[in-house]
Amino acid sequence: MADTTPPAEVLRLEGIRKSFNPGTPLEVEVLHGIDLVLRRGEFCALIGPSGSGKSTLLNLIGLLDRPTAGRLIIEGHDTRALDDAALTHLRGHSIGFVFQYHHLIGAFTAAENVMMPLLLDHGRADDRMRPAAEALLERVGLLPWKDNRVGNLSGGQQQRVAIARALAMNPGLVLADEPTGNLDTKSADGVFALMREVNLAHGTAFLIVTHDPRLARRCDRIIEVVDGRIVADNAVAPAMAGTE
Amino acid sequence: MSRWLPFEWIVALRFLREGWMQTIFILAGVTIGVGVIVFMSALLTGLQGNFLRRVLNAQAQIVLQPPDEVARPLRGGPGIVEDAVIQRPTQRLRSVDQWQAVQMQMAATPGVITTSPVAAGAALALRGEASRSITLTGVEPESYFRIVKLPESIVAGQPRLLNDEIIIGTDLATELGVSLGDKLRVTAGTGRNAVLTISGLFDLGNRQVNERNTYVALRTAQSLLNLIGGVTSLQLGVRDVYAAETMAQAIQGATGVRADSWIRTNMEFFTAVNAQRTANTVIRLSVGLSVALGIASVLVVSVVQRSREIGILRAMGGTRGQILRVFLIQGGVLGLLGSLSGSALGFAALVLWHRWARQANGSELFPLVIQPELFLAAMGVAALTGVLAAVAPALRAARLDPVVAIRG
Repeated sequence: MADTTPPAEVLRLEGIRKSFNPGTPLEVEVLHGIDLVLRRGEFCALIGPSGSGKSTLLNLIGLLDRPTAGRLIIEGHDTRALDDAALTHLRGHSIGFVFQYHHLIGAFTAAENVMMPLLLDHGRADDRMRPAAEALLERVGLLPWKDNRVGNLSGGQQQRVAIARALAMNPGLVLADEPTGNLDTKSADGVFALMREVNLAHGTAFLIVTHDPRLARRCDRIIEVVDGRIVADNAVAPAMAGTE
Repeated sequence: MSRWLPFEWIVALRFLREGWMQTIFILAGVTIGVGVIVFMSALLTGLQGNFLRRVLNAQAQIVLQPPDEVARPLRGGPGIVEDAVIQRPTQRLRSVDQWQAVQMQMAATPGVITTSPVAAGAALALRGEASRSITLTGVEPESYFRIVKLPESIVAGQPRLLNDEIIIGTDLATELGVSLGDKLRVTAGTGRNAVLTISGLFDLGNRQVNERNTYVALRTAQSLLNLIGGVTSLQLGVRDVYAAETMAQAIQGATGVRADSWIRTNMEFFTAVNAQRTANTVIRLSVGLSVALGIASVLVVSVVQRSREIGILRAMGGTRGQILRVFLIQGGVLGLLGSLSGSALGFAALVLWHRWARQANGSELFPLVIQPELFLAAMGVAALTGVLAAVAPALRAARLDPVVAIRG
């Protein structure tokens, strides 16, 4: 008999609101009560026009910012009660980030960049870190470039390193903010395929902000945000998902 | 990536290496600053030490003399003073009362290492028709030369004083046209005179002293000055030269004789030393401040340049404390490395200056005293200055909002 238990939640948002300059005449509410659940293994696109609140929502989910109201639960941890240090710890362990401009640290090699989350967590390097980083680089097809400074890699390669870095702590959720926005079509397809492959192989949930409807359609689920509200949250037909 | 270094050190050192141009420029700045401080401090210490050595080699640290004679008012009865004006009496040459007993007392005083009786007074040195007024100083060479290092300044002859011998300065010899072994007639203010043989010529590096000071045996001076068995002063050498004034006051209180320390008689020298110290401190603080501001400005620029990377590190789980320490370490490393190269620069400058700068007579201008503690202190202070200078930029980095930092 098949197991019908739904996968574990990696993210739950309940009535999330976000205002800037709260309590002042300049107060602006940009998110108006967002409810959202993301489960392990989901591969979601977050779409919406510019200024709709996607990036703000991503920052809240990434624990880089705090909501004005509502509950945000990451892998079962209600973040309302957590102080800055605890949020930092939870962020480091549960969430991986991939940004549009890779944001790798130029002073380090590809392998060292992948090791960075581990180094931050452990405080100092140990014997297991480099093999772990190299395994991740192998997975993203960049092992031969492991000792190259990231500045010497192409845009697509840099984004692959960023994906490997995001996976270093084996997080339950990876947030990708326009991960292919700065790449040519071929590189974008490659990066997207890589994220999909990781998602399928390890069950890592992905929430990908994209303006590219072609890529969005290749996700399992498309969440559309307009004017700070989720206006659509639809599963993509299996025949469409993962294909072009 | 080093296995034994903590995260903060790895990132701090890599950031410094990555921004090598900034690092080199600020290191050069710190190097020059520390070099100047080390050079100035060592030079001033050497010059002061040299000056001090010269002063202390030329005079006793404490001189005991009979108290001034004072006129006692003539009293007609209790509370009745007959004379309205009391004239200060002239100070005649007198011996220290019971000087042998005082000398024994001084020899037993803790901190006193040498005592030497001296009979000194004014006299005339005559040679043919030439005459010069001199200070005739009668000494016991064994003890006196342990206090006043006259033998080190002898340029001709011996530091020897038999009863018919005299040691005079080079300038007096020139003026009287005499040289080693010549006879010299010395007439004291008492009218007594003696013909003495020049046994030595000294050069104390001061024309006035070379013209004025002469040294004879104690008995010769006592005879000429009509102080048979008496001495005009007792000269003391003490272990702690800087405690001389305190000791002098204690001795004066205990014995009743007048006790003057070298500190009191060289008050102007100490004023000059203090002025030098103040100027040196101001210069050192100014240079230190410049170094600190240099480090701070470079790190502020670094924080701005690396704000996005700081944001990423924070997003990946980096704590504020870790980011803070990354920049504090950079400040400390810049200060420490700069102090190492600055100490080397200061040392090299000292050696060159010592070799090049000479006094008129060709002797060294200052002794080359290399104090390891000066270099250690310079390194410690520079590293601390670097860390303190990094506090503001480091706090700024640690407080960066990751959202704003990543957005750039």
